[in-house]
This record gives sequence, structure tokens and C-alpha cells, in this order.
Amino acid sequence: MNLFHTKYLVFLILVLFAAFLPMYIGEYWQYVLTIAFFYAILAASWNLLSGYTGLFSLAHHAFGMIGAYTSTLLMAKAGIPFWMSIPAGILLTMLISSLMGIMCLRVSGLYLALITWAFAEVARNYFRLHYTFTGGDRGLESSLLFGTIQPTPYYYLFLGLLIATIILIVLIMRSRIGYYLKAIRDDSIAARSMGVNIVRYKIFAFAVSSGLAGMAGAFYGHSIGLISPIMGDFNEMAMIIIFVVIGGIRTMPGPIIGAIAVRILMELLRAQSEVRILILSLLVIIIMRFFNGGLMELYRQIKQWINKDKNGGTSAYHEIETPKQGES
Amino acid sequence: MNNKNKILEMDNVVKIFGGLKANNGVSFEVEKGEIRGLIGPNGSGKTTLINQITGIYDATEGHIRYKGKKINGLQPDVIAAMGIMRTFQVARVFLNMTVLENMLIPAFTQGQSNNEANTRAEELLDFALLSRLKNKPTKSLSGGQFMLLQIVRGFMRKGLELYVMDEPFAGVHQSIKGIIIKSIKMMNQDKNVTFLIVSHEMATISSLCSKVTVLDKGARIAEGSMKEVANIPEVIDAYLGG
Repeated sequence: MNLFHTKYLVFLILVLFAAFLPMYIGEYWQYVLTIAFFYAILAASWNLLSGYTGLFSLAHHAFGMIGAYTSTLLMAKAGIPFWMSIPAGILLTMLISSLMGIMCLRVSGLYLALITWAFAEVARNYFRLHYTFTGGDRGLESSLLFGTIQPTPYYYLFLGLLIATIILIVLIMRSRIGYYLKAIRDDSIAARSMGVNIVRYKIFAFAVSSGLAGMAGAFYGHSIGLISPIMGDFNEMAMIIIFVVIGGIRTMPGPIIGAIAVRILMELLRAQSEVRILILSLLVIIIMRFFNGGLMELYRQIKQWINKDKNGGTSAYHEIETPKQGES
Repeated sequence: MNNKNKILEMDNVVKIFGGLKANNGVSFEVEKGEIRGLIGPNGSGKTTLINQITGIYDATEGHIRYKGKKINGLQPDVIAAMGIMRTFQVARVFLNMTVLENMLIPAFTQGQSNNEANTRAEELLDFALLSRLKNKPTKSLSGGQFMLLQIVRGFMRKGLELYVMDEPFAGVHQSIKGIIIKSIKMMNQDKNVTFLIVSHEMATISSLCSKVTVLDKGARIAEGSMKEVANIPEVIDAYLGG
């Protein structure tokens, strides 16, 4: 129980810190963090689908792109206002991802990855090739949500969206649905035999996680003012995976820490843009080799090491003990 | 025989995988409250049959009826909801969840309240001597404990009527085997749970089951008490490789 309170307290402090941060940093870093929050939403929602539920999708970035184009196109071509075009973008991504979930019910692992990747390529190339409608590679201008390019309102918008995403995922994972998702990942045959309707919950995972990506994408378009098929580039997907893996897959804070930390690191290395991908790649190799649970695993090991020092060594049994999340 | 007493009926069940006939017209019936043994040499089609009863496979031909209702072709979760639980030959437990969380899954899918599910889980874990491990990740358990957990997890379902077990005694320590046998006897007597148990452990099956069904090459070749079937030439043939 104690651990819970500490967790919530840390979360609250971090939110407060993030809320006051724009007073102390310039517009440039506000912009950097806004983009980092956008990626953190993508990373956290991908972790729900691929980490917790074990459905390794390579189409998550494409759902972000679909959300962005849907909302922007509805506004630009049909004059539909924000408050309708953004939900429409979210709903469409949920619908398409549900259909993809149904199509992928019987596949997993590498095959699921390949199907979702192929879908992402189809979507990206549609937006590239149907340029009379979508603007193609030149991109498409998107009206700004707050009518300004000043980053502060967008910073708060994406902070709010990120907090909402975190709360939603925590609520799901602490509910019975969370149990079912974890059971499906561990052993879907056993889950079915224990009465879990895996069709329903796999589609649920696809729809919710992709819906969050679509939401992030839709708001992203209206925040930076220009969207292009680059959002659907495979590099974007690779980055989402890197954020999650560096932060710690199947942990709640991991993807968010990973996304924000790596985005900041990339920004700091901006001047050496040639070497930054090299540094990032090296970082992935080092983390995968030594802490394949990511930064959260590093944190766990440090905590364990401190505790061990304090208690004069713990038994082997305690070493495998994970935070008692399910205890309540 | 009164039709109402039949909990499970296999009616000419055929299962074909490509060119292989895994089950070749199996017919037998299990009565409510029975502990039935299902034996036969390796590759005789026992596990294939169980997979059809529990919805993992659909039968190519024939019918499987549970309490008079055809169940072949239904999804495993629907069959579970009807009161049939199963275990697997190689224990299938949720390795990354805690022992307690494993227990809660069948209770949650049934819609038991948190309170009810937790109380039930505590009782069963106590019985299985797994209580002290309840908050441990399941992957830290031993192989025998996997099997034990898998078995008591099935008992979490309230109103469990038919429990199908695939090799529940394989590779487990004597003391764990004792707990498993005790749990089967207890659930059978107290809750009138019917069991269909696949096993190679003839002595255990002989002591638990009043009746056994023998499969060979995908077909039923004998049925009766262990003593009876042990003297049937086809059974001896099947086991000794005729």
C-alpha cells in the first residue's frame, strides 16, 4: 500500500513540476517538450498494445498519421470545426484498428508485425500518392488549434493529453481488463480456457491504443500546422519502439521516461546530427545488453542494491520480487 | 441409463489433421459425478480429444454433447463459461502474473466479486500449500508447482461441473501429487464435480477412477474398471506394441 502512495506522490510532483516548467524555460524548449509529450503518448499507448497485451504492432505511427490527416482534411475540405474533426479522427483510427485487430486475430509475433507494417506502408503511400487530395509529400497545412505558433498553449495541451493517457492506461491495467490483457500476452490459449474472450479484448487493446495514437496525431497536426506522410515513415515506428525499450517495456513510467529522455538527448545533440543516431544506437545496444528491462530495470537494480546494503543482503527470493502492484 | 445423468457424450468423434486421423470415430459417455480415466499409449488421440471437448479444436465429424447440448464448434471461453475447466499436459500458467493473479482470472471472467474471488483464492491456495507464494511472480515457481497452480486455478470457477485434466501427475513430486489427488477426491465428493483424467500413471488412475476408457490409434478399444480392461487382449496389445 505504501508503495502506491509514494508512486502517486511522485506522479503528482512531476505533474506540478511540468506545469510550472514553462515559466523557467524558453519557447524553444517548450516546443521540444511538447513534441516529447506527443511521442510519450505514442510510446505509452504502444506499450499497452505491444507491451502489456503482447500484440507487436508496427502500425502505431500510421494510426497517429491517420488521426492527423482525418482531422486536418475534415477541417480543410469540409470546414468541420475542431471539436468535431478531432473526435472524428480518433473514431476513425479506432474503427480501422478494430478491423485490423479482427484481421489479425489468428496471427501473432513476426506475422502480426509484418501485417501491421504492410498496413502502415499502404496508409503512408496512400497519403503520398493521392496528392491532389492529401497534398502528397509536400504536406498539408493544418489550421492551428490556438491560432498561434507560440508553443506555451500547446505545451499545456499535450501535457494534459499525456496525463489523461497515463490515467486511462493505469485505470485499464488495474481493472479486470488489465488482468485479461496480461493473461492474453502470457498464454492466450490458457486465457481462453479460463473464460477470457480473447477476441473482444484483443480488439479492445487495438482500438484503445490506436485511438490514443490517433488522438495524439490529430492534436499534433493542429499544433505544428503542417502534416506530411513522414509521420508514417518506419523511422517513426522505430523511434516509438526505442523509447519504450529504453524506458522499460511493460512498465507504466518506462515509455514516458524513455520518450522524454531520448527526445531531450536528441535535441542536445542537434548540432552533431550525424553522430546522434550513432549515440542513440549505441545506447540501445548497451541498455539491451545490460538492462534489458530498460531504465526501469536499472532503477530496480539500484533500489535493490541500496536495500541490500541496508539489510546486509537479502535472500535470492527477494531478488525476483517485483513491486506489489496487484496487492490491494 | 438415464439420459439426465450423462454429463458428457462423445458421439463418433473424428478429427483429421491433413492426412492424419487423430481421432477415428470415438464414442463414449461420462456420467455426472464420475472420475473417469482416459488412457492409451502415446499418440492414441487422448489430448486431441480433450482439445475438442474444450474448444481448442473443432471435430471434423461427429458430435460432442455436454449435458445434452452440442458443444463442438464453440469457442473455448464459451465452453469454460458453461462450467468446463481444463488443464494442459505442459502446465499453462500466466508466468508474468503473480500466483494470486493467476487464480483470479477464471473467477473474474465468471463475474465473481473481488471479495468472493479473493476469499476463494486464499482458501484454495491454502489447501494447495501455495499461500506463502501468492504474491510472487509465477515464473519463480517450480515445475510441479506450475501443475498444482494450474489445477487449483480451475477450481476457482464456481459451479464447476466437468474438469478435464491432461496428465495432471506427470513430472510432479510425490507430495504435490498427493495434494492433487486429495483435491480431486474432495471436489468430487463435496461439489459433485465430474472428472475426465488423461494419465499414464496406471496405479493412480486405478485408485481414483472406477471406470477407464482406453484409446488406441484414435479409437476407443475398451472401457470398464482398470482390472477389467487390463485383461482385454487389445489393450495389452496396444500397450505392448502388437
